Amino acid sequence: MGFIMDGLDAEEYDRIYSDWALVKRILGYFKSHLWKMLVVGAVVFLSSVMDLILPVVVSQALDQLQFSPEAFDPIGTSIILGVAASAGWVANMIRQWLSAEAVGDVTLDLREDAFNAVTERDMSFYDQYPTGKVVSRVLSDTQAFSETVRLSINLMSRLLLVVLLIIYLFTVNVNMTWVLMAIIPFIVYTALKFRTVARRTVTNSRRQLATVNAHIQESISGIGVAKAFRREQMIYDEFKTVNQESYEVEKINGFVFGSIFPILVTIAGLGVAAVVWFGINMAQQGILTAGEWFLFIQGMGMIWFPLTSISSFWSQFQLGLAAGERVFALIDAEALVKQNADDPVDQLEGEIEFVNMDFHYNEGEQVLKDFSLRIRPGETLALVGHTGSGKSSIAKLISRFYEFQQGALLIDGVDIRYFNLSSYRSQLGVVTQTPFLFDGTVMDNIRYGKPEASDEEVIEVAHQVGRGDWLASLQEGLETQVGERGNNLSMGQRQLVAIARVLLQDPAIFILDEATASVDPLTETLIQEGLDTLLGDRTSIVIAHRLSTIQHADRIIVLELGEIIESGSHDSLMAAGGHYATLYDSYFRHQSLEYIERMAG
Amino acid sequence: MNQKSEFSVEGLRDYNRCGPVRWIISHCLEHKLYLFVGLFGFALTYIAFSGARVMFGRGAELIIEGGDAQAVIAVSLAVLILSVSDGLFALLGSMVMVILSTRVERDSRHELYASLLGKSQTFHDQQRVGDIMARATDDVRQLNFVIHPGIMFIFDMFLGFAVPMIYIAAINLELLLAPVIFVICYVFVVRRYMRRLEPVMMQQRMQYGTLSARLEETISGIEIVKVAAQEIEERKKFKRNAWKYRDFFVQQGKIEAAYLPLLMFGIAFGFFFLHCLNLYSRGILSIGDIIAVAGLMQVISFPVFISLFSISMIQLGIAGARRILELIEQRADIDENLAGHGAAVVGAIEFDHVTFKFHGSTVLEDVSFTVEPGQTVAIVGQTGSGKSTLTQLVSRTYDVDEGRVLIDGVDVRDWNLDRLRSQMGKIEQDIFLFSRSIADNIAFGVQNATAEEIENAAKEAQAHDFIMSFNDGYESEIGERGVTLSGGQRQRLALARAFLRQPRILILDDSTSAIDSATEDEIQKAMRRAQEGRTTILITHRLSQIRWADRIIVLENGRAIANGSHEELLRSSEHYRRIFARYGAVESPIGQLAAGGGA
Repeated sequence: MGFIMDGLDAEEYDRIYSDWALVKRILGYFKSHLWKMLVVGAVVFLSSVMDLILPVVVSQALDQLQFSPEAFDPIGTSIILGVAASAGWVANMIRQWLSAEAVGDVTLDLREDAFNAVTERDMSFYDQYPTGKVVSRVLSDTQAFSETVRLSINLMSRLLLVVLLIIYLFTVNVNMTWVLMAIIPFIVYTALKFRTVARRTVTNSRRQLATVNAHIQESISGIGVAKAFRREQMIYDEFKTVNQESYEVEKINGFVFGSIFPILVTIAGLGVAAVVWFGINMAQQGILTAGEWFLFIQGMGMIWFPLTSISSFWSQFQLGLAAGERVFALIDAEALVKQNADDPVDQLEGEIEFVNMDFHYNEGEQVLKDFSLRIRPGETLALVGHTGSGKSSIAKLISRFYEFQQGALLIDGVDIRYFNLSSYRSQLGVVTQTPFLFDGTVMDNIRYGKPEASDEEVIEVAHQVGRGDWLASLQEGLETQVGERGNNLSMGQRQLVAIARVLLQDPAIFILDEATASVDPLTETLIQEGLDTLLGDRTSIVIAHRLSTIQHADRIIVLELGEIIESGSHDSLMAAGGHYATLYDSYFRHQSLEYIERMAG
Repeated sequence: MNQKSEFSVEGLRDYNRCGPVRWIISHCLEHKLYLFVGLFGFALTYIAFSGARVMFGRGAELIIEGGDAQAVIAVSLAVLILSVSDGLFALLGSMVMVILSTRVERDSRHELYASLLGKSQTFHDQQRVGDIMARATDDVRQLNFVIHPGIMFIFDMFLGFAVPMIYIAAINLELLLAPVIFVICYVFVVRRYMRRLEPVMMQQRMQYGTLSARLEETISGIEIVKVAAQEIEERKKFKRNAWKYRDFFVQQGKIEAAYLPLLMFGIAFGFFFLHCLNLYSRGILSIGDIIAVAGLMQVISFPVFISLFSISMIQLGIAGARRILELIEQRADIDENLAGHGAAVVGAIEFDHVTFKFHGSTVLEDVSFTVEPGQTVAIVGQTGSGKSTLTQLVSRTYDVDEGRVLIDGVDVRDWNLDRLRSQMGKIEQDIFLFSRSIADNIAFGVQNATAEEIENAAKEAQAHDFIMSFNDGYESEIGERGVTLSGGQRQRLALARAFLRQPRILILDDSTSAIDSATEDEIQKAMRRAQEGRTTILITHRLSQIRWADRIIVLENGRAIANGSHEELLRSSEHYRRIFARYGAVESPIGQLAAGGGA
């Protein structure tokens, strides 16, 4: 019974839609399936009528048998029964067939819209909402929504059957119909009451299941440590406790769900007994025939189950709407990064200028304040400073991942807000400290930013990075599978792939954010040699903890709390003996040979 | 358990693992009593339910032939009692099946978990955590549904057909004709239906997995997607995957729509009714009998209806069971070797012509070296040259393909795995901390560590001060709900964890992530203290650490190309000189000399 669903936690971008607006929008998705839905409506009606014909024909046959056996045609009656059953079955098949197609298509459209909306969000959206939750909106909520649609169609046919049946029964015998209907409130009440209880136990069981899952997740992720320290027994004992607790909770939950059906059967049984008793008495007074009496007994069997579903339908429907609402909220969420125009970008020179910029991620936590900086085309600029000084923010603003609050950012003298972001970013190359690789081969990953590149181009670029020595350490060279998020490669190898990926893209502006932090000194030396030539005629912004990287920069900017406190070449800054010299002493000193010799001594 | 395992649990039952169905059955048989009581409960349910139909026939006779008030009350009361006991026995059966199904869920999760703990690292390297999670959670949950309501379906099949048919036979044997033919056809058709549905459901489920994995990947890597301007490409990919899923969904819907047994039942009922009428005309059946058998025939329709739903459940469950079994049945490569060598480790390590292959490609080739007890060895080499693997052979995370790794002169394969690993400490590159308190994380390696011991270990690792800066000190939770630690802090906690264990052999797989000099100094101090009196294997890119190792091994593509002290290597290895050259070149005359010498 899938009608107990917990709502997901609300997010900031959630909004309230009026029920009407939601329904209208949902119907909009069904527009292209209009004829299918019309046919579904028609066959739903047809199958309900056929379902009703069966007991009615049996009951009338029995009466004929009793009162006018000579006029009775047994073969004709049986054929009617067979044909009605077949027609009902065919109608049902058409209904399921068409609704599967319509629901499948609508879910697909909805998912696509949701996914497209997701890719349009800027980085602040992803900072705020964890991947899992976004995935759940795009997949699970759309799934829940389509389930509701399917369920609604299903229930509609049942409801129709109940209504038709009751109307027919009224024409047969009004008083008996009232006897039959007397049981309805009890069934509806029990079904609703059950929902309340079930909601609670389901919540408990989900919580407990989440605990078990979290335990398994962590012990599997940390299995290496557990093995190295031989603490399998300890985490195993913990697991046993958690698993047992989950069992206890799950059992209660199962009891609740397992009891509803038998309890309703019992209630319906009471109703049947009442129909039997009243019916026989009425029949003996000649008000009811045996056939009609049997029809009422069967009628009881036909209405109690649909009633159970219908009584919980409204809340299911609301949950479905809520799922729809969450998906639409995701689709409609407004991007913080706003472009004023969509101008395609020609080959960039690479001049970057920050003009009196104010920037913060969160209100009240100023990152950049009245920040101005001009980077000349072709210049290699190193950014140094403590954590939180704004180094990475500058890089991210150039990537246009975030919206700034005041001032302007000019690229080649043009406001970044006028660019078509896709064409702008294709001239940008960014390598981060923990590069993300996609499941696939090294070759696929290098080609990622330029899918049309030939194998030869990829191979050439791969060999430019670190003279290609690193390729020899890959089991199958460029054809090596990198695994989920690149897990099969070491962090250093991932950085090398990322650098190759950017080189292939041949960008006008390079941003290296700790790009070689996990590479060994020898490889780094090789990469640096490769990069030096490539960085030569391009604008590049380097954030590094490696002394060697910084020393080669044309200009070094020292940042503190979002402000430029010093600027110049390595030698001039060292000579000045200011912040850079201090920073050098605390950050980079241990990388110098002098320090090493002292420590060794 | 007769397969190799790095970890074994006492008292875990042996289940039949020959196939998913047998496996599920062997789990159920662990709780025979419940199975039996459940079957009993459902049998009574069907007896009562069908009995009520027979009573309807009696009622009809009272109407047609007349009867006194007492007879009317008797029939009504019989219907009441039968209907209520129908519900109550169903309740009993259902409760018992709930217990059975949740137990099987619990036990199979338990079995899976224990087997996962027993698997070697080789196995874990090959599995996606997400995949294991899906099996341990979703697939195990599906098993629950196999039993409740899955097995109930099998009960329904038997009882829902058998009980009413016995009643019908009691009224008139000849009437069994239509239901028997129906049941035979039904079994045949359902089997065909299952065979058609199963692959589609399976593919649909797999496609959902792919869709979800791809989506998650794209969102996790969104920064790259954006900066490489690949949104359009990603949308196409997503659409392709979503389309495939949609196709399987529709295909499933179409197969389900054409569920033949429902049609067959309708036709069978027509024939059955005709048969009844025929017997009536021959004076064998009364109208009351017809009402009774028509009611009984309808009982048979219940399992037919419910099967549409249960079959999918059972198929999902069996598919889930198959995936769980696959995981359990994967061989562990390394055995815990309880009878193995178990002495105290002194700390001599020897690699004797070691070759190691991973997925068929050679990672280490013919590596030989020895380390004296108490020495510090630095392993240097390019990214991917096999450094980490080398240390993993020492802790027997993997087994060598050729040659031997000896600890104190004994092959690691002859050591008791528990004794061997418990005397080693390791600080890995990606330091993994558990989401529990700092104290628990430090004490992870030892049982019953006192607060004082934990604190001392933290002090030694230069971690005490920053730990005390947290509000809850040692009781601060790490992770999502607790404090976030920097790379350097994590490293020091890992050091403390290693200190507390007092390992004889310490392996430091050093991360090169940026740490400022002030912290660096502290870590250096801690590290040097850690190395005192124990054998240390150090993987490092930090020249300062390489510089003061007793011995340095330079690896290149899995071969040890140089081996010696710093001074020796500066003289003999061009490779080694190149590393130092780059660093020294800018300001140190020594470096320039070395660079000049290397050129």
